[in-house]
Amino acid sequence: MKIEINKITKRFKNIEAVKDLTFTVEPGQIVGLLGPNGAGKTTTLRMILNILRPDEGDIFFDGQTMRRQIRNQAGYLPEERGLYQKYKVIDVLVYFGRLKGLNYRKSHVEAVRLLDSFQMIDYLEEPIGHLSKGMQQKLQFLVSLIHDPEILIMDEPLWGLDPLNQELVKDKILSLKEGEKTILISTHLLTDAESMCDYFVMINKGKVILKGTLEQIRKDFYQNMIIVETNKNPELLRKIPKIKDIEFDDSRIYLYLDRNASVKETMREIVNKVDVSRIELHKPSLSDIFLQTIKNVTV
Amino acid sequence: MKQFLIITWWEFARHFRSRSFLLATFISPLIFAAVVLIPSLYLENTTDIQPRIIGCVEFDTSGVCQDIRDRLIESQFGKFNSPAIQFIPIKTDTSIYMRKRFEELAYHKFEFDSLDDAYNKVKERRKYIFQQPKTPNREALLRQTYGQLIQTRESRDLAQLAYQKRKNECDSLWRVEIVRNADQMLADLRLEGYLLIKPEEFAMGVVEFHSLFPANFLEIEPLQRAVEVVIVEQRLKREGMRVDKIQQWLEPIVFREIQQQGEEKHEFDFLVNYLGPIIVVLFLFISIFTSSGFLFSGVLKEKTNRVIEILLSSVSHNQLVAGKIFGLGILGIFQIIIWYSIMIFLIGLEVINASEVPFLNLKNAGLFLLYFVLGYFYFASIFVGIGSLFSNEEDAHHLNQFMRMLSIFPIVLAILVLEDPNSMLVRVLSFIPPLTPTFMILRTPLGHPPLDDYLISIGIMVVSILLSVFFAGRLFRIGSLLYGKKPSFREIFGIMFK
Repeated sequence: MKIEINKITKRFKNIEAVKDLTFTVEPGQIVGLLGPNGAGKTTTLRMILNILRPDEGDIFFDGQTMRRQIRNQAGYLPEERGLYQKYKVIDVLVYFGRLKGLNYRKSHVEAVRLLDSFQMIDYLEEPIGHLSKGMQQKLQFLVSLIHDPEILIMDEPLWGLDPLNQELVKDKILSLKEGEKTILISTHLLTDAESMCDYFVMINKGKVILKGTLEQIRKDFYQNMIIVETNKNPELLRKIPKIKDIEFDDSRIYLYLDRNASVKETMREIVNKVDVSRIELHKPSLSDIFLQTIKNVTV
Repeated sequence: MKQFLIITWWEFARHFRSRSFLLATFISPLIFAAVVLIPSLYLENTTDIQPRIIGCVEFDTSGVCQDIRDRLIESQFGKFNSPAIQFIPIKTDTSIYMRKRFEELAYHKFEFDSLDDAYNKVKERRKYIFQQPKTPNREALLRQTYGQLIQTRESRDLAQLAYQKRKNECDSLWRVEIVRNADQMLADLRLEGYLLIKPEEFAMGVVEFHSLFPANFLEIEPLQRAVEVVIVEQRLKREGMRVDKIQQWLEPIVFREIQQQGEEKHEFDFLVNYLGPIIVVLFLFISIFTSSGFLFSGVLKEKTNRVIEILLSSVSHNQLVAGKIFGLGILGIFQIIIWYSIMIFLIGLEVINASEVPFLNLKNAGLFLLYFVLGYFYFASIFVGIGSLFSNEEDAHHLNQFMRMLSIFPIVLAILVLEDPNSMLVRVLSFIPPLTPTFMILRTPLGHPPLDDYLISIGIMVVSILLSVFFAGRLFRIGSLLYGKKPSFREIFGIMFK
């Protein structure tokens, strides 16, 4: 199910939490919604789920606005977790399954199947409060999957999980993608986002500052960087016209190139100017792009 | 609709199985009822079993204590249910010193009486001589006895003065001694109280009752009545009434207290008619606040652990709030049905005699249920709205306590209803929504309010519920996603009236 977010704006008092936000999430695609704290990510997710209503703009699901049928096809994993601590794992899963439109029997069967696939079947009758924090995190993830949703919206899905369970959840998310589900993830873990997401929407102060596939972003960002190690006076490198900025870190020198600079020619000029013991072209990671973009926007 | 029913069932089922519900349904009512009933039952039973010993101290020997005792015995005759009072005129076993003083007083009295007697004899003799024909001998005898008369009179007057002085001294000392003796008996718990009769005050209708413990001042009406009878008797005697007639007129009166309840009349019973409705109101209070309390803490917890976001991604705000309110409302009704069942069971076992508790009838059961539903919806919507504004239990706890304190307020005001269930003040208070359920439930068995009062109170409650649900919905919609700082009153009003 395709989600189209079209120029949505949300204001709280006089603050614009989200402003003219537009992007699309296609089926079989994982979209990463990135941004610093207070960027408006959670507000955006809440608007998509119809928990909050946008002041302006529209959100369409396969061209339709949110209805009960669509709501029943959406799974949501909020950022901060917690379930009914006194109640049994199976009862809580069945309850949320039923709220999503499953009948009791189907909900029960799905709950058992999911618990089994996440090696939690032994905890079926346990009160949630008796489970470890990691187990509770996994259970919360299962709550969002109990009804086999077409749309999955997750706020920090890997947060609080140990590496083993992170892999388990990541694999599950990727398998859901294979199953043509529409997945939107909001996360701070950029390395994981890089490995999972096909498309990124980076927002800051409610506005989109960058969006696209990783390749598109890199291309748009086009912030090639050359790392150099030399014993000579590095100030000589400032004379090279295509170098925009220089940063020093011990013996390493980070050279930021101009957008239209030729990497090959610049490298040649560097070698000519100073005695280089090491020279390396560094392609920016998502994290670099994120940090640099936020920095630029803030400046 | 389906999701609304699922939430309703979930809220009902999960709280029905909780320990808090069992506690609120079975233990709290027992504690409340015990708190209200035990002191009354204790007082009733203790006075039934053990007669209370009351003493009587009088400062003269007119026999008032004995008269009061006789009247008390007459009034208690045949009344086995009323608290028995054993009334004992206190005789003073005086100290050796007092006995010596009394002996001296007796000597002075004897001396005075003897001299008075001698004086009277001399007077009689002179009278006799005076009536004899005038002779020189008569004149001589008169002169001679005159000297005796003067001398005897002087001696008698001196003896009288001495006697009166001693008597006054003795009386003062004796009064102190007898009161001290009675106080000692009180301190030794040989008496529960004593009447102190001072002749000059008694004539004016004033009698003192002395006791150590507050409880002893209760249930002394039979004694008061007996004292009244004796005082009236004495006054009538002074007015020249015939003693046999007086006793006939002052025969103890049997006072049957019949209360008209609707078209029926029943003997008034303090426990049933006075404490009964208060217990019923306490049950109503427990029921409303068990369910509303669950709702309040439930919303707060769901908000704290963010479950509310998952719920709101599945159902609308309205479905969620309605499901919760209805689910817990059904829980409250179920609680009342459990109490009704226990009541029917106890009536079946004849532990409770339904004919003696006239307000235990189907009509009142229906009214109780109706006012529970109205009260519950009113308070539940307020609780759900307020509960959604807080994001941690500590902040909400103070407000919850405050709300509970406010809700106990109607029970504190219940005394007004007990005094006059249909007074203008009570009627007006019955139409103030937070007080309506309590007041109407109290008024029903006590005052049989007119139909208009039922209709007006129900109408006001329905309008209030609609308003509180409307505002609670607004608060919940915004408040359920509000984390971080506590909203100020200004912000709360802003959300409500925006």
